[in-house]
Amino acid sequence: MTMAARSVFVPPTRCPVDPVVMGSALFLLLAGLIMVASASIEVSARTYGNPHYLLMRHATYLAAGLGVGGLALLTPLSVWQKLEYPLLGLSFVLLIAVLIPGIGKEVNGASRWISLGFFRLQGSEFVKLFSILYIAGYLVRRKEEVQLRFSGFFKPLAVVAAMALLLLIQPDFGASVVIVAAVLGVIFLSGIPMRFFLPVIAVCATLVGLLVTLQPYRLARLTAFTDPWQHQFSGGYQLTQALIAFGRGEWFGLGLGNSIQKLFFLPEAHTDFLFSILAEEMGVVGAGLVILVFTCLVIRALMIGRTAAKQGEDFHAYTAFGIALLIGVQASINLGVNLGLLPTKGLTLPLMSYGGNSLIISCALVGMLLRIEYECRHKMAVLPRGRNRG
Amino acid sequence: MISTLRIGLVMALFVVLLLAMNARLFYLNIIDGDFLQDQGDARTIRMERINAHRGMIRDRRGKPLAVSSPVVSLWANPQELPLSSEQLAPIAISLGIDSAEFVARVNAARDRPFIYLRRHMRPKEARTVLDMNTPGLYGEREYHRYYPSGEVAAHLVGFTNIDDHGQEGVELSFDDWLAGTPGKKKVLKNLYGEIIRDLVPVSDAVAGKHLDLSIDIRLQYLAYRELKSAVSHYKAKSGTVVVLDVETGRILAMVNQPSYNPNNRTRLDLASVRNRAVTDVFEPGSTVKPFTVAVALMSGLYQADSVIDTSPGFIKVGSKTIRDPSNRGELDLGGIIARSSQVGISKLALTLDEFEVAAMFQKVGYGQSTGVGLPGESNGYLPNYRRWNDIDRAAFAYGYGLTVTPLQLAASYLTIASGGLRRDVGLLNEGNLKETRVYSKSVADELKSMLARVISEGTGGKASITAYRVAGKTGTVRKIGENGYLDTEHLAFFAGMTPLKNPKLVGVVLINEPKTKAYGGGSIAAPVFSRVMGSALRLLNVPPDDPGGAA
Repeated sequence: MTMAARSVFVPPTRCPVDPVVMGSALFLLLAGLIMVASASIEVSARTYGNPHYLLMRHATYLAAGLGVGGLALLTPLSVWQKLEYPLLGLSFVLLIAVLIPGIGKEVNGASRWISLGFFRLQGSEFVKLFSILYIAGYLVRRKEEVQLRFSGFFKPLAVVAAMALLLLIQPDFGASVVIVAAVLGVIFLSGIPMRFFLPVIAVCATLVGLLVTLQPYRLARLTAFTDPWQHQFSGGYQLTQALIAFGRGEWFGLGLGNSIQKLFFLPEAHTDFLFSILAEEMGVVGAGLVILVFTCLVIRALMIGRTAAKQGEDFHAYTAFGIALLIGVQASINLGVNLGLLPTKGLTLPLMSYGGNSLIISCALVGMLLRIEYECRHKMAVLPRGRNRG
Repeated sequence: MISTLRIGLVMALFVVLLLAMNARLFYLNIIDGDFLQDQGDARTIRMERINAHRGMIRDRRGKPLAVSSPVVSLWANPQELPLSSEQLAPIAISLGIDSAEFVARVNAARDRPFIYLRRHMRPKEARTVLDMNTPGLYGEREYHRYYPSGEVAAHLVGFTNIDDHGQEGVELSFDDWLAGTPGKKKVLKNLYGEIIRDLVPVSDAVAGKHLDLSIDIRLQYLAYRELKSAVSHYKAKSGTVVVLDVETGRILAMVNQPSYNPNNRTRLDLASVRNRAVTDVFEPGSTVKPFTVAVALMSGLYQADSVIDTSPGFIKVGSKTIRDPSNRGELDLGGIIARSSQVGISKLALTLDEFEVAAMFQKVGYGQSTGVGLPGESNGYLPNYRRWNDIDRAAFAYGYGLTVTPLQLAASYLTIASGGLRRDVGLLNEGNLKETRVYSKSVADELKSMLARVISEGTGGKASITAYRVAGKTGTVRKIGENGYLDTEHLAFFAGMTPLKNPKLVGVVLINEPKTKAYGGGSIAAPVFSRVMGSALRLLNVPPDDPGGAA
């Protein structure tokens, strides 16, 4: 048994939180802070006249994120379970509000934000969290119905489809893919019969295919992705610049702060393409380590879910799965985009990229995950050992 | 029921993703690294110029005529310059310009990445501005050309423009030689073209080579001084003096009036830029008479003492009457030259083969480039008739109907001074002497002694030099206006050599449109010749050939 698995059985008094989740998350947050500092310095200096402008903002969000994460850690999971419907309602309010001119703020042709003066709230980030809480709650409430009737499976799908549709209107294709994938993943893990599940997967795949091919700008992105060097001065520009960053990195990178691509060649160097800059400055070794830590975090979250399931804490389990999938899917898409394995998509790297909403919600997810592990471990400690079959 | 199997599947999926992404990472960073790095370098690494030091131009004794000194040109990227006027003001103050004007200029150029603030500043002054460390302010090393001899050698040396390219004179014609090769250095630039880092220098700048001219700046100075005072004294329009070294054919001095200051060309009058010694042509008039006489001597029909009767002082040729100022009576060939008799030379010419005369003019260098290599050189004009009528034959013999430049005239007199050898005139202190015989030494000696009589008994008395004997010929031609020859505008000139026995120097003096009562070459150009050549002989330590004349 690995050390990570063993920690579940450590009495709560000895270690207040799961060291693997905590360690991975802190590693990624710190690496993110350092890389944002390096990648944003030139952009900050040119755009804001202060080389530390974006770094200071990121640090502020990080502090807020740690606070939110701490609150999530202190919040019993039952509170979230009770808030399921209000949060679902809030999700739709947010998704509709961003679309209303005057409330929603349009940036680069997408209206994704609600301006709160000092802070621009990105609805989709909160909806990510709320959607997995909703599906977890639903699966717990309708346990039998979901297992037996297709309608029980179909109803939450309709809700999530409505969310995805609202996200596509913004448009925010990336967020809708992440949410749909996470929700479907949680349903899959809940043990739904494959005869319900497979047709839905087929329909989703068809829909995504249609979305990509029907909207010309997405198709252009797709073709640019398949041969970026052919389109290096149009659609493939960003990708070629990202690939060059990787090529420069070699084994150990150019050294922290020495990225050339961040000198305005690679757009979004401190947000969506932070990983490319990391690979340029830290090489295969640094970038590989980050991928490894993400995988550790995701697998550890899945293990926490499995433990909760074994204890019969289904809501805990589903929420843990949801968190694992949100972080895992989003990170995989972002890394895949950076590495040129997926078409370019506007998604941040959770816990690392610059961006207040993403950072705060990522911290909240980690805080909740720690809470789930804590509650399970606590329950384990007070239960008689004989009932532990894990 | 929550399925452990499915959880395992999802975990496996993420492990597969981990492996796939690491494999891709390895492929991009290591396998494809060279290609990607080349692509990156193609977008970021640029070559920058390192300006090369331009070679010096020196006179024959190594005195500098054009030198380059390092300067710094200040330039700015207005997109990077501070926005506030308060931060811009100190730059304007240190540049000594109005700060409001400066701010307006910068703001007008905000969409551009490059403006010059001031070019060619002294490095020390530029340093004080650059030391303010204002973002967006840069200095570039350049070279500024300075001409120590100023207007004296301006036409010969020429000048460069602010980008160090030759525009006139030898600066232009020897630009490739002087310019050198700019060096290159590799630099890293960001997307906005700003240099982030100096990488390796690829090639050092190769300084241009020095150019040594045959000019003697001392002779150039004194020729210029004498010409300038003569032109202003006679209220002439322009003037030229050319001095050649007989032994080598090299140019020792070449000056023109009006001239200009090549170091400050803000109020440059374009008419003063022309190197008239090679660009401007004129009808040589009486100065070609010796060459007509040379043909006569070579024809076997005449000896030096052959006598021509010029009475009654005019001769009708075709419909035209050619006149001497007075009836000069019987003249030998030397007398025709000394007294500059149009009638005598016409009578002579009409007995000669006109093609022989034209061929002689061609052999002494008229109608063709001297090969001196100065920009804008004119070839002059030498007619090439199939059939000559008598008036053309006569006029041609006394120097009308063809045009020459002052340098061509000097070069043709060099054939007399050298004993019948034509030597290519040159401006450089090196290179091989090229000479061809155009007529015999005995003919040349005859011509020399005839030309000496011009000084002793003829029109050129004022060209005489104390302690040295001079041979030469005056010339006075009327200028051509809209309706033919003008009575009031003249060109006065003198071509000659000294010392007589073994000529060292050939000189041509030309004064254009003197406004004084006396306008002839003998009274206006000859004195200038005397002063310039006299000083030159003494300066060059040429032994006197007429010590008796010293008294």
